[in-house]
Amino acid sequence: MAMPLQEMVTSPDTDPIETPDAKQVAGRSPTQIALERLRHDKVAVVSAAIVVLFVALAILAPVITSLVGVELNAGDPSEDTDAFNFPVIGPPDNGFTWEAPLGLEPGTGDDLLAEWLYGARTSLEVASISTLLSTIIGVALGLVAGFSRGWLDRVISFVIDVFLSFPFLLGALAMAPILLNRFGGDPEALDKAQFFGIIFILTFFSWMGLARLIRGEVLSLREREFVQAARVIGVPTRTVLFKELLPNLIAPIVVSISLSVPAFVTAEAGLAYLGIGLTGRPSWGQTINQASGYFDEYALYLWAPVIGIMLLVIALNLLGDSVRDAFDPKTRR
Amino acid sequence: MIGYILRRLVSAVLVVIATSMIVFLLFTLGPSDPAQRLCSADRCTEERRALIHQSLGLDKPVVEQYLTWAKGVFVGRDVSYGPGFSVDCPAPCLGISYINKEPVFPTLMERFPATISIALGGFMYLIVGVIIGVLAARRRGTSTDRGLVASTLIISAIPYYLVALLAYLYLVLKWGIFSETSYVPLTEDPIGWAGALALPWLVLTVYFCVTYARFSRGSMIESLSEDYVRTARAMGVSESKVVAKHALRAAVVPVITIFGIDFATLLAGTVFTEAIFGINGIGRTALASITQGDLPIISATVLIGSVFIVIANLLVDIIYSFLDPRVRLS
Amino acid sequence: MRWKKLGIAATTAAMLSITACGGGGEENTGTDGNDTADNASPTFEEGGDAGGAIDMTRSKGPAPEVEGAQQGGTVTFLATSGLTTMDPTEAYYTNTLAILSQLVTRSLTQYVYDPEANNGEGGSVLIPDIAEKWESNPEYTKWTFTIRDGVRYETGDEVTCDDVAYGIKRSMDRDTFPGGAAYSNEYFKGGDKYSGPYTDGQEYDGVKCNGNELTILMERPFPDMPYWAAFPAIGPIPEGDASNPATYKNHPLATGPYMFGKYEPGISLQLVRNPEWDPATDPGRHQYVDEWDMKFTEDQSKLEQTLLSDSGEAQTTVTDESLSPSAFRTATQDSPERIDTGTTPCTYMFAPDYRKITDINIRKAIGWAYPYEDAAKASGSIVGVTRQFGTTLLPPGIPGRLQYDVLGNEGSQTDPEKAKALLEEAGAVGYEIKWPYIKGDELQEAGKDEIVSALEEAGFKASPVAVGVNQYSDFRADPNSPINVRAFGWCSDWPSGGSWFPPLLKSGGSNNYAFFEEKDVDNRINKILEMPVKDQPAAWGELDKYIFETYYPGPVYGYLGVATMHGSKIGGMKVSEVFGEPTLADIYITE
Repeated sequence: MAMPLQEMVTSPDTDPIETPDAKQVAGRSPTQIALERLRHDKVAVVSAAIVVLFVALAILAPVITSLVGVELNAGDPSEDTDAFNFPVIGPPDNGFTWEAPLGLEPGTGDDLLAEWLYGARTSLEVASISTLLSTIIGVALGLVAGFSRGWLDRVISFVIDVFLSFPFLLGALAMAPILLNRFGGDPEALDKAQFFGIIFILTFFSWMGLARLIRGEVLSLREREFVQAARVIGVPTRTVLFKELLPNLIAPIVVSISLSVPAFVTAEAGLAYLGIGLTGRPSWGQTINQASGYFDEYALYLWAPVIGIMLLVIALNLLGDSVRDAFDPKTRR
Repeated sequence: MIGYILRRLVSAVLVVIATSMIVFLLFTLGPSDPAQRLCSADRCTEERRALIHQSLGLDKPVVEQYLTWAKGVFVGRDVSYGPGFSVDCPAPCLGISYINKEPVFPTLMERFPATISIALGGFMYLIVGVIIGVLAARRRGTSTDRGLVASTLIISAIPYYLVALLAYLYLVLKWGIFSETSYVPLTEDPIGWAGALALPWLVLTVYFCVTYARFSRGSMIESLSEDYVRTARAMGVSESKVVAKHALRAAVVPVITIFGIDFATLLAGTVFTEAIFGINGIGRTALASITQGDLPIISATVLIGSVFIVIANLLVDIIYSFLDPRVRLS
Repeated sequence: MRWKKLGIAATTAAMLSITACGGGGEENTGTDGNDTADNASPTFEEGGDAGGAIDMTRSKGPAPEVEGAQQGGTVTFLATSGLTTMDPTEAYYTNTLAILSQLVTRSLTQYVYDPEANNGEGGSVLIPDIAEKWESNPEYTKWTFTIRDGVRYETGDEVTCDDVAYGIKRSMDRDTFPGGAAYSNEYFKGGDKYSGPYTDGQEYDGVKCNGNELTILMERPFPDMPYWAAFPAIGPIPEGDASNPATYKNHPLATGPYMFGKYEPGISLQLVRNPEWDPATDPGRHQYVDEWDMKFTEDQSKLEQTLLSDSGEAQTTVTDESLSPSAFRTATQDSPERIDTGTTPCTYMFAPDYRKITDINIRKAIGWAYPYEDAAKASGSIVGVTRQFGTTLLPPGIPGRLQYDVLGNEGSQTDPEKAKALLEEAGAVGYEIKWPYIKGDELQEAGKDEIVSALEEAGFKASPVAVGVNQYSDFRADPNSPINVRAFGWCSDWPSGGSWFPPLLKSGGSNNYAFFEEKDVDNRINKILEMPVKDQPAAWGELDKYIFETYYPGPVYGYLGVATMHGSKIGGMKVSEVFGEPTLADIYITE
């Protein structure tokens, strides 16, 4: 799977340093300019609409399920499945019914629409929390490293190197059994621990790109006149960091966020697919894992989450690309 | 030049040491008492377990345990499970598997050719990607170019494992277009080797080449507009020579950098590739070890993985410094 | 013995290791599960003597030919489970036992599949192997086996009586081989003191050779010795470096028709013809195919697609895995003739901790609350095929099995109302049930979810405890684990009640997961063990009924069945009810 941020860090056609003071003349902030551009980008608008739709579905999952009249984990295997444990109602085998719009799960007879909706919820929850955390950590460490230079910078840069060389997926592998051992006795605590464990793993291995980028930016920004001037007249360091530097870093941060969300959605489902992600709550990756054996006989089971992930991730990525382009005057498309 | 390489080497070694500490910590914080894993309750007395615990040095402080372990990596060691059972673990000793009680390193090395074979075929995407990128750059603005850019955006937006899974399910299982994927040793049957890996290679190439195509297109366009290229053109150097001799060299540099950084992604991709296509390489072994709770295998895999990433980055930096003299001086 | 081990969890396999939980039954009172998929359902009889029959007269090789058998070809064997140790002394899983004893290593006795046995239904019979004949004193405390001449290792060396004696001593080394079966220590003279050649040296006077007469002395009567003698552990193993435990597991010396070729532990095993095997000395095995190409930790759906497609190599492929319900559906429609169903000697029980849940009404309430069919289906079993329901501890096929039904639910009906009534009677509404389950296996978790909702519906408080697959058996075996119910499966080591009650329901029994303890039952078990062999089966059957009627230790939630499949060019494949594994020694390839 793609690790968050790396692509943007190394992208040769992105040079966010140019961004901040590019078009101040017009009297609009770079962010306003970028938003204006996004509004005229058809791909961005369509992608954003899809993303908003998914977010709405995820947030409204409980409402939608109760409106349709389906429930999570409410299957009754002996009533709902036949001798071969295949569902007796719902698509794809038995025609559409509102009782089970996306069909039932073979074996358990659980409703797949409910599972799908709550899967979307899990996915977006994990992705947004991880993005938030990794952004905060990345920005903070990047700012500190770039601004302090000296030994603190070296330490942080070394830590970044260590983390970059740590195989993320293999690290995640080691995580699952440790959590299980600590929280196995209490199912609810275990589910929570898994949820936060995934967020922790994703955050832990994805802040480096942004930190490195921010550090580089700060290194060059702090030599600029306006920063030098502020320091000379005795503005406190904190004010310099937050009032002078941070506003100039909006572009890379926004671009980074827009690219990490899809990466996290991908990663969450990927881990669940491998069986080392979330197990206590619905997750698309988990459903794909279970459903892959049914791809031929009961294809909807597999395709519903596959299409869910694909649509969401493509929309998020395209939106991210558009955001990058909008914030970067040098991009050519 | 030598100074630069040395500096990079030292920092690479430091990174590896730090990683090994993290791995070791994971190991000791790990979920199960090795003594228990080696000798389960329904088969083993309490006393015997305590003895194993002691023989393995698990009662000693963590720092001492780490040093013993680190020493084993260089000179090997005997891992003793109490009287009557000890395993000789030659250097590099990365531990003893809980399951078959054999040194972990040779076991992983046995799986290594499969992983390398996947990666080898995977290298094709780099080459294919750069070629496509260069061609697109030369046809910049045409519909071919735009089509390429659009398709790269879409393809690289889909999670890799979905592409691989769907390809496997439909192309192999359902339609039988490709033969069953597995690992056949190259030395035994070269044709079988290539045949059984054809689909993973294809999927890897199609999936990853688009990223490289995009990047090499970008940097090619950039370098084609550089002054020295313009000068070369003005001097009447033929276009193909301009591209091959002057622009390409500059354009490849960033692509190599990306590859170095992408290496970790590639490793992750290997785990999925092996899991989905059922190839018994290192990734699948690590995954299986999770189920079996074979922590030594897992931690050894993590360590080997990170060593590879570090080496890849190091090589990239060195190659980079050859290709771009400015790096050495900074 | 143990049901073959789980390989990789991330498969869709309905793999039920011995550590499995899950179950079967139905919420609605109605049809019997056996009615479903009747075209493929195996024969489940009450009683019978499947695998229990001993025929010492079949001691002359070569073995009778399998009808229609042909020579040559390579058979591919696919499995999703991994392969645990292949050291004959330590092998204790159904798959390792089947591969070793049918193809690679010979022991004193062996099982053969006889289509005429079991009143023409087909079944296994125990016949001589390396031992030509055997006898015991009337007390079953001294057994004498006559070792046959002309048996050789793959190296060409002759197998001697001393080699067998060494193999037996090796089987007493619990420290070196903690995973093996412990019968030698339990029954052989001084077995609790002597701990094998690697710990205590060669000095052990329980086993003696006199020419080719091997004598084994017992600590207590052991009428089932000929069955234990069929284990690879009770066979010849050369002394010294050749059988170093660290390396022997990677290449046990073959005495059977096939020997190890290339072996990647846990991944693949190639078996090639053993030129030193002489059919004239072996009354049971065949050497029809040239080579076995075995692959382990395969993906379940991949394996199923291969077999269903039946193209190329798949035509000569066999597996010992049961099909998933969806593949079984496709197979029954497309190629029912390639399905092999059979039984295993395995019973599942959801066993309350007898020390903690002391009220019989609560135990019976669990019996009524348990979602037999729901849990079976959710955990991927095919009701009536890979999961049969019943009420007795002894699974079908064990001699002497007596049908009874203490609850009156046919082992498959769930009734929360009855459970609630029993709980109220016991004054224990809201009683907390804590049991461990394997976290990470989707099917197991789905089964667990069904149990949770069924228990809650019946007025219990359900608290499942998540445990990793690698810690599960330890956690469950630990008497101090904070749980009060343990789900377990048990497969008999030989078709006799002696392989069931002493380990499972006797105080301090080696696999007494219920921590069941009743002096009365202990005495009855001891008494049966001292009875003449011919009276034992019926007595075990009676004891089964007596224990459940008097004490009701907990619900039996079914028996494991096998529904597997072979390629179209495979002949001679049956499912041996002794192991629940294919009859490998009879398999051949047709033109």
